[in-house]
Amino acid sequence: MTQNEIGPGIQAWIMGTAGWIIPGAGHMLQGKWLRGIILGAAVWICFVAGLSMGGHLFSVSGGDTSLSTLLQVPPTIANLGSGILYLVCWFLGFGFADDPTHAALATYEYGNTFLLIAGLLNYLAMLDAFDISAGRKP
Amino acid sequence: MTAFAFIAATVFGTVARDTAKDRVLYGLKVFAEFMVIGLALGWVLYFLPF
Repeated sequence: MTQNEIGPGIQAWIMGTAGWIIPGAGHMLQGKWLRGIILGAAVWICFVAGLSMGGHLFSVSGGDTSLSTLLQVPPTIANLGSGILYLVCWFLGFGFADDPTHAALATYEYGNTFLLIAGLLNYLAMLDAFDISAGRKP
Repeated sequence: MTAFAFIAATVFGTVARDTAKDRVLYGLKVFAEFMVIGLALGWVLYFLPF
């Protein structure tokens, strides 16, 4: 029975999780230093740029059950892809402000887009780390 | 748009191909596509009245 038939091992899941929590870590733990630094830097720069442009992070609050809450789910999933960057901001309550002052910034929507893309790109990096560890990619 | 295209192309190029040369070429191709399509769409939308 080959590796592909029995599925990826626990190590692949660990690498994928590490790559999600700390962008770039999934590759670095496997000795792919350059790839990890490039991917990690891209995600970190994208996230910091988004915050500095005045973008805001999405979250789903449990109290509200209206349709608008459902619309918050996809961007929240995208933001969650940033891993520890999102979690630290969440713990510190930083970057979640969605007031008229923020929305009036010319770069507000650009910032939102950068924050969303940072998370989505990290999902790609995370899957790449998973595939490398599972032996599906060199 | 340029910064966005550069970052996205960097990640796409890094994860999508197997050799270093292919990665660089693919990254450049993705970057060029983002820029050209973005500018083209910008001009198209500029002329739309609604």
